[in-house]
Amino acid sequence: MVPILILLIVLLIYGLAYVFYGKRLLEQRVVKADSRRLTPAWEKFDGIDYVPANKYVLYGHHFASIAGAGPIVGPAIALAWGWLLPLAWVLFGNIFIGAVHDYTSIIASVRYGGVTIMTISENVMGRKARYIFLAYVWFALILVLAAFFSVCSATFVGVPTAATVAIMYMPLALLLGLMVYRLGLSVKPATVISLVLVILAIAYSFYAPTYLTYEGWVIVLAIYSFVAAALPVWYLLQPRDYLNAYLLWAFVTLAVLAPLLAPVVRLTGPPIISFAASGAVVGAPLGTPPAGQPIGWFWPMVPLTIACGALSGFHSVVGSGTTSKQLSNELDALLVGYGGMLTEGAVSSLAVILPAALVWDFASAAQSAGIPVDLMAEALARVGVDMTKTPNVLGLEAVPRFTVAYGLAQAIAWSRLFGVGMLPGLLVGFNTFAAWALTAFMLTTLDTANRLARFSWVEMFDWLKPRAPRLYRVLANRWTASLVAVILGAVMAYPSIPNPVPGQPPIRAYVIVWPAFAGTNQLLAALALLTATLWVYAILRIRGGPALLMLVPAAFLWLTVTAALVLWLVLIVPYLPLLYIVGTGSIVAVSVALDIVLIYLFVRGLKMAGKA
Amino acid sequence: MKPKEAVGIAVTLIAVIVMLYELFYVNLTGGAIGVSGAVTTDAALLSAAFIMILIGPWLWLGDAPVAVKKLVEARTGRKL
Repeated sequence: MVPILILLIVLLIYGLAYVFYGKRLLEQRVVKADSRRLTPAWEKFDGIDYVPANKYVLYGHHFASIAGAGPIVGPAIALAWGWLLPLAWVLFGNIFIGAVHDYTSIIASVRYGGVTIMTISENVMGRKARYIFLAYVWFALILVLAAFFSVCSATFVGVPTAATVAIMYMPLALLLGLMVYRLGLSVKPATVISLVLVILAIAYSFYAPTYLTYEGWVIVLAIYSFVAAALPVWYLLQPRDYLNAYLLWAFVTLAVLAPLLAPVVRLTGPPIISFAASGAVVGAPLGTPPAGQPIGWFWPMVPLTIACGALSGFHSVVGSGTTSKQLSNELDALLVGYGGMLTEGAVSSLAVILPAALVWDFASAAQSAGIPVDLMAEALARVGVDMTKTPNVLGLEAVPRFTVAYGLAQAIAWSRLFGVGMLPGLLVGFNTFAAWALTAFMLTTLDTANRLARFSWVEMFDWLKPRAPRLYRVLANRWTASLVAVILGAVMAYPSIPNPVPGQPPIRAYVIVWPAFAGTNQLLAALALLTATLWVYAILRIRGGPALLMLVPAAFLWLTVTAALVLWLVLIVPYLPLLYIVGTGSIVAVSVALDIVLIYLFVRGLKMAGKA
Repeated sequence: MKPKEAVGIAVTLIAVIVMLYELFYVNLTGGAIGVSGAVTTDAALLSAAFIMILIGPWLWLGDAPVAVKKLVEARTGRKL
């Protein structure tokens, strides 16, 4: 009964957090959301980026955009600490930091006409903070593009049916948008038609693999990202993300159903393995000396491993980028921002950590479920896992750790209904479904990241507008701004270079700087939350308990991330090969320096607000 | 009909035909689209159709739907 108990506790915590922390405190006492206040989607409507959206459609967009690979891959890696510590961090970070950060970023942006959180920082921390912030975020988004081009291409090569699903899915999303916006069909029948077609497409894709090389997929995805990011939001982004939300809900619902269908299966994983995991768990490149040393302390290093499921700076950029420009009503922001983040936490806790805790030790899971161990071994072999060599989930890489654990938990649950003999077939089916869900998250993030890079780029050059208006028009053109980001991202994802670590296989160029991304992204979260907190304190003039409920988590996050980055700089960077020191090391060092400058500007802003 | 709309219709039609051909004819007769580890004409055609289907209807049907524009005008009093 333990898995069901954990499931119920997690759902109860999320429900209470939404009502009391989100609605009663943040919405009603802190930001005082008002449905009568006109949002930028109406005031600045342009038919491209500023377009009011139905709250459920926007929820789908926001959720699908913030849920890249992060809520899945991070917690899967964090299982090296055991399952309880990552679960505790996801719940704590999700409710008190991540969801607050996402919600306040959206509302602050809405109150400033839909500009990004980076530009809002000018109002509370000064002009310098704004441009530092914008350049920092723009570069981080290029890295996101490079990583997602690469991971998505590799997934399409590894699971060619996932590529077919993606190709068939886009026209169906367009069809939904055209049915609603052009043919005037109401949302319900249009949704039903589209969902039936999506299910048929998914079923057909099982038998229709699309093969292309890694490099070929990088080019196709780069063109896709370029085009999709410049198209009007109502045309592709809104309908696609709305449909995506159903896929993602199905994914989470199945995860919730698994322990209910198989109540006798007990948790086979250890709650805590150690408080100090190996350096590889916190991003030390494989094969380097720190990767094998026990320097991955749960605190303060956990945010370097678990990002999106608990909190992520990228979310503030999405919230104040695409989401705030489509928010139709201030009251919708709670469901979209706070609710969207809780849903993402549910992906991490219920669809990644709980299934892994259930099937952690394959032989014990088989025994617990009353499945012959031989049959379990046969099923695992069908998805490329040799149970003798890999007796538990920790022996798998991060992505298969998730796909196999999710797939196996589902297969065990459903085999109780359809018969134990179905286990191998069910495992293959759910393992593929998990890979599809992962690519659905990633494709959405690909074009959202490019759109956000465009917004940052345009805001970064706004000082040119009065001085050189013609040059500004060229630079701020949506096609130019998209193209710059896509080219840089693709150039980092495309080439394969020799691994600077001797004896390790070649790597893609972006990997040289990628280990720095986790830290810079979490630092961005800390800075965005500090900005939102300062906005609440200085501009909205909220004082006392509600202000402290934002200030304390923001300060805790800043301290945690800064400590983690300093430890990374001291314990990992000096032992890396030169190329990594130049790439990753320099980014982490610059990030820590910027961090100090921005915290100084924050404290100064806080003092000034206190005196005012 | 504006030239942009005509191009949009042509691009959409070509994309739909190529997609249907590759997904149903090529796959059902060959068991897959493309060959593992290689760039084939079929995979390239399907990829091109994937991009074209994004652009075609947009060129054809224009930017913002009239219904949405009217709603914004009514709510904001702004003439679009």
